[in-house]
Amino acid sequence: MGEKTKPQNKFSQLIKWLQKGKVNRWLVIITFMLIPVLLLLVFTYIPFGKMIGFSFYNMGYVGTREYVGLQNYIDVFKRDDCFKALRLSVYYIGASFIQLALALYFASILSTKIRGGSFFKGFMFFPYLICGIAVGFIFKFFYTRGFVLDTILSWFGFNLENLPYWLRDTKINNISVAATSVWRYMGQNMVLFIGAIMSVDSTMYEAAAIDGANEWQKFRYIVFPSIKTIIVLNMILSITGSLSAFEPPYVITRGNFGTATYFVVMNTLAHDNMKVGLASAMAVILLVIILFATVLQKLFFRYFFGEGEEEAIRDKRRRKKRLAEAAARKGGVS
Amino acid sequence: MKQWKRFTSAALAAMMAVSLTACGGSQQTADTSAAKEGEANTATTAAGSNEAQSDVPEFKDLKVGEDYTDIKADLKFITQRTDLVDTTFKTYVEEFQKLYPNVTITYEGITNYAEDMITRLSTGDWGDICMIPMQVKKSDLGTYFLRFGAKDELEKSYIMLNDKSFENDVYGIPSVGSAQGVVYNKKVFEAAGITELPKTPDEFLDALQKIKDNTDAIPLYTNFAAGWTMTAWDAYISGSATGDADFKNIDLVHGKDPFTKRDDMTGPYAVYYTLYEAVARGLTEDDPTTTDWEGSKPKINNGEIATMVLGSWAVTQMQEAGDHPEDIGYMTFPITVDGKQYATASPDYNYAINVNSSADNKIASMLYVKWLTEDSNFAYDQGGIPIVAGAEYPDIYKAFDGVELVINNPAPAGEDNLFNDINTDSEIGIESSADTVSKIVEAAITGSPTLDEIMANWNAKWTASQEKFGAIQ
Repeated sequence: MGEKTKPQNKFSQLIKWLQKGKVNRWLVIITFMLIPVLLLLVFTYIPFGKMIGFSFYNMGYVGTREYVGLQNYIDVFKRDDCFKALRLSVYYIGASFIQLALALYFASILSTKIRGGSFFKGFMFFPYLICGIAVGFIFKFFYTRGFVLDTILSWFGFNLENLPYWLRDTKINNISVAATSVWRYMGQNMVLFIGAIMSVDSTMYEAAAIDGANEWQKFRYIVFPSIKTIIVLNMILSITGSLSAFEPPYVITRGNFGTATYFVVMNTLAHDNMKVGLASAMAVILLVIILFATVLQKLFFRYFFGEGEEEAIRDKRRRKKRLAEAAARKGGVS
Repeated sequence: MKQWKRFTSAALAAMMAVSLTACGGSQQTADTSAAKEGEANTATTAAGSNEAQSDVPEFKDLKVGEDYTDIKADLKFITQRTDLVDTTFKTYVEEFQKLYPNVTITYEGITNYAEDMITRLSTGDWGDICMIPMQVKKSDLGTYFLRFGAKDELEKSYIMLNDKSFENDVYGIPSVGSAQGVVYNKKVFEAAGITELPKTPDEFLDALQKIKDNTDAIPLYTNFAAGWTMTAWDAYISGSATGDADFKNIDLVHGKDPFTKRDDMTGPYAVYYTLYEAVARGLTEDDPTTTDWEGSKPKINNGEIATMVLGSWAVTQMQEAGDHPEDIGYMTFPITVDGKQYATASPDYNYAINVNSSADNKIASMLYVKWLTEDSNFAYDQGGIPIVAGAEYPDIYKAFDGVELVINNPAPAGEDNLFNDINTDSEIGIESSADTVSKIVEAAITGSPTLDEIMANWNAKWTASQEKFGAIQ
């Protein structure tokens, strides 16, 4: 009998062990994490690790590989097309600022109770739901000579003769292309802002109204500080997105007439010229640039606007200085 | 946004992976059962050799309509021509069944042919006849497909066999051939007062100028925005521009500065000169960035466009796009080499037969392929060049009378990859990248750099890669 109870004992011991608070907690964490972490590893980090590996080889998709060390990285810096392409990011960064400003503007209007508010919200969010390729095709026709944009402008008295070729003229075609991403992502940013604005405690507005604050003051001193975090987040996402802009130039102009962004150049190198190693090196370099830009932005925002509940470093220093000055003056008098 | 994208793509990829493995599993079991059925063939498949022929007759000896008329087989035919499955091919099968009543043929059209077929090939049990996907290496042809016969024997009756042959063994019979030329609208040419077809780049440019001056049509539509239409220009630099079947794989690969201007206006320079000058002189569409491929077809049909530089495959599409099919003409690329005109020609997809099929299926497939090639009129229906040696060209090639078709010779032994290596390493991307030819159009519009500068740059890049791979000293 003793022999028989032994395994049973072990089993119940196991159950008991599993039911212990600490073990139980870990068990839940592991089971819940397993699938997402596995997916993340298999489809993001392992391929990424592989890509870093590729960047040290001279290789195509098929055929033999040759280890070349850092040669690919040196080539990226030596080639004139790679970093030239990065300059185009300025257009997209500029566009992302406009996009955020517009989003913030519409969000602050639409978060108040106005007639047809949800209609406009849906209307402006809608472009985000369209796939990027389709957006590209829409705008290709939009900018075609004598089509949508030219027609609309001619209603306002513009003469077709005086209008530029929106996608051919190298002075403005990057602006035309970057504008499409404003159209696409503005609604999404706006919805995020509306969500953040809605969560602001309404008693604050009432208090402000009693104090006689006008709308701008309400925005500046109540809304803005409360949604600071989400603004910073949107800004970081937009700027990193600008550095890796791909869909609009790829679909609308195929990167012709000086609209080839870093990603388009990378794509051409990898798929047309089968220089997968070089393209991988470009990707790694871009990642480093993006990381650097993100850290820089974070520091910038911490200094000027503070993070979350924390006060801006600049304000803290100013106050300290003022206090110190006040103390010094006091000391001087006495 | 980025996180979202990453998440959705990961989720998608996961779903696809799961469904893929599911498919793979079922197909594999189907594969093994099929392998068991055709016992005799499995052994030979494993060897990947050609000795399977023992129970199958030679392709060249088969007489369609006389041999094996009582053969029984169910054939599955996989094709890229989804548009013809329910129409033309159906009538072909009916015709064929008059000769072979016990053979049934089921067509399956695949839209994304090149990629889907390559995965299906690896399962072994995909059907009996297919069109050989481009990615299959020549040395692998024997692993998947039945050998039709010796090249030197078959070449007596068919043309363009180079493409899918390996060391004198033929594994694919081209369905139809195509030649490189220029699609044009006859009525516009007439209206512009062009009586004789231009034969040199400058004559061609003069003709375009006449069209611009005398008609409302766009003289030359580049279809720039589509991208692949730019790559299409590269096809003319070999046969059409030089008349030399060895140009692509020998002269271009081993020659010094192949893009340099030649005094008689032939060679690659002449081709790109035609494009550059046409754009620079304003003889093309206003805004190349917003061209529309589908929209261009009815336009050339009803005379709003005068010419387009495209392979002969495009002719039927242009004819069918509107009410004036009779206005569409086809001429050779305007380059004359020593008083003679040439045209680069190449085979379309090749028919091939599954090496794993049963002996009866193989014989029936061979009969059908032979019937398609010799008796079906497919080439005439499609406006292509017939594969049977010495056959008459369809009407559309009238302008090609006296024009010699040049089919590029394969690379010499041991240099199979040399052209590709130089081509990709130099980033010139002949016939593979639209980027370089697009840059010619851009330069022509903005006025800098000049064509000579572009060609000098190409020469420099090309030479550097030639040296890297030891193609020249």
